[in-house]
Amino acid sequence: MSEISRDTLMAYLDNELDGASRAKLEADPAAMAEIAAYMRQSDAIRTLYAPAGAEPVPVRLDPHRLALEAQRRQWRSVAQTAIIVCVLGIGIAAGWLLRPSADAPDLYDRLIADAVSAHTVYVAENRHAVEVAGSDSEHLSTWLSNRLDTALAMPDLSVQGLTFLGGRLLPAPAIPGGRAAQLMYEDGAGNRTTLYITPSTGVDGPSYESVRLGTDQVLYWANTSFTCTIVGTGTPEQLQAIANAVFAQLTPGAAALYES
Amino acid sequence: MTASAAFGILLSNKPESCGVVDFLDELEKDVPALRRYARALTRNIDRADDLVQDTLERAIARRGLFRPRGPLRPWLFTILTNLHRNSRRSDRRRGEAVDVATVELATPAPQPGHLALAELARAIETLPLDQKEALLLVTLEGLAYSEAAAILQIPTGTLMSRLGRARATLRQLTGAEAQPHLRTVK
Repeated sequence: MSEISRDTLMAYLDNELDGASRAKLEADPAAMAEIAAYMRQSDAIRTLYAPAGAEPVPVRLDPHRLALEAQRRQWRSVAQTAIIVCVLGIGIAAGWLLRPSADAPDLYDRLIADAVSAHTVYVAENRHAVEVAGSDSEHLSTWLSNRLDTALAMPDLSVQGLTFLGGRLLPAPAIPGGRAAQLMYEDGAGNRTTLYITPSTGVDGPSYESVRLGTDQVLYWANTSFTCTIVGTGTPEQLQAIANAVFAQLTPGAAALYES
Repeated sequence: MTASAAFGILLSNKPESCGVVDFLDELEKDVPALRRYARALTRNIDRADDLVQDTLERAIARRGLFRPRGPLRPWLFTILTNLHRNSRRSDRRRGEAVDVATVELATPAPQPGHLALAELARAIETLPLDQKEALLLVTLEGLAYSEAAAILQIPTGTLMSRLGRARATLRQLTGAEAQPHLRTVK
């Protein structure tokens, strides 16, 4: 018999052989016996797995249902994305809107801190406690008014038992490019009180704040013209009385700061 | 113009929606064959149906991009074959043990015919995956050599040699030896 390649047998078996080659193979009884054995094998393989293809298809394999579910999942993910975008947007917008009020406490807190620092440094000085003495208060007022770009009177606190020592110009680091006037007063016992005054342009936050820092009592107030931080050794009530007098003299005509 | 003709024109104006329905109907017709092929590959009903479901979901998701022009069946077999290979690879990475109980044929009936079938099933299990894929696509699913070769991404010659080796191995293992007087040449 002729040599017949396995590929030819396979091709015959799988109907991949052209007519002439088929006829040639069919004339060979040995080859046909071989092919018959392979055909039985193929039939057996088909018989083995035919039941799996004939079973009723479970519902979860229905393409229409799967397509619907996929569509639903897609919508759900679109909706989820939309919700995430909305929440993010709200968060960003809220953050932006709340930004000024979140910054402002910082600014007035820093003003108070600057005032207390300046107080601590200069009340300890004897000869250089002030830059311009209180006896020259007219010049001091003109000078500081020019530097602060606001008309600034020198409050007279003699009713509160305080003598005006004088004042100086200071940087106000809390405000960009800011300047502050520090005015110093002394009572009969030598206790000193300072006023730290800045224009209130750009300063937001509470108009009144009272804190105690160590031995110093601090009272901060702000209106449309000034912020003023009073630092002294007196009681809160004494500082309030001082604040009322300062307020009335700095911004005459305005309502009293604090009704006692 | 009759009402039905007008309706026909209306329908033909919406090729998209019609195409989707046709596509899903066509998929539905191929599900039994996919299940049979998956069952033969995995020998496990649940894993096979999971594989078919993954295949259908992928086909549905990609119908716009990758859907071939011709019949769907070869494309679906390609997806299923690749998913099966991937899952086997990740199973091996996880070191998952094959459940011996589910690998066994479900119907070990006492008739000699059934015994022979069970023996054949066990023999198929011993084949390397690439031979098993070639054998099942051609013998069980009746795909042409060119289609099966395209699905497995191999030349037709490679496909034929895998088929030949698979069938010869099966004959050896099931006791039907090749006839000695016929010399087969590779």
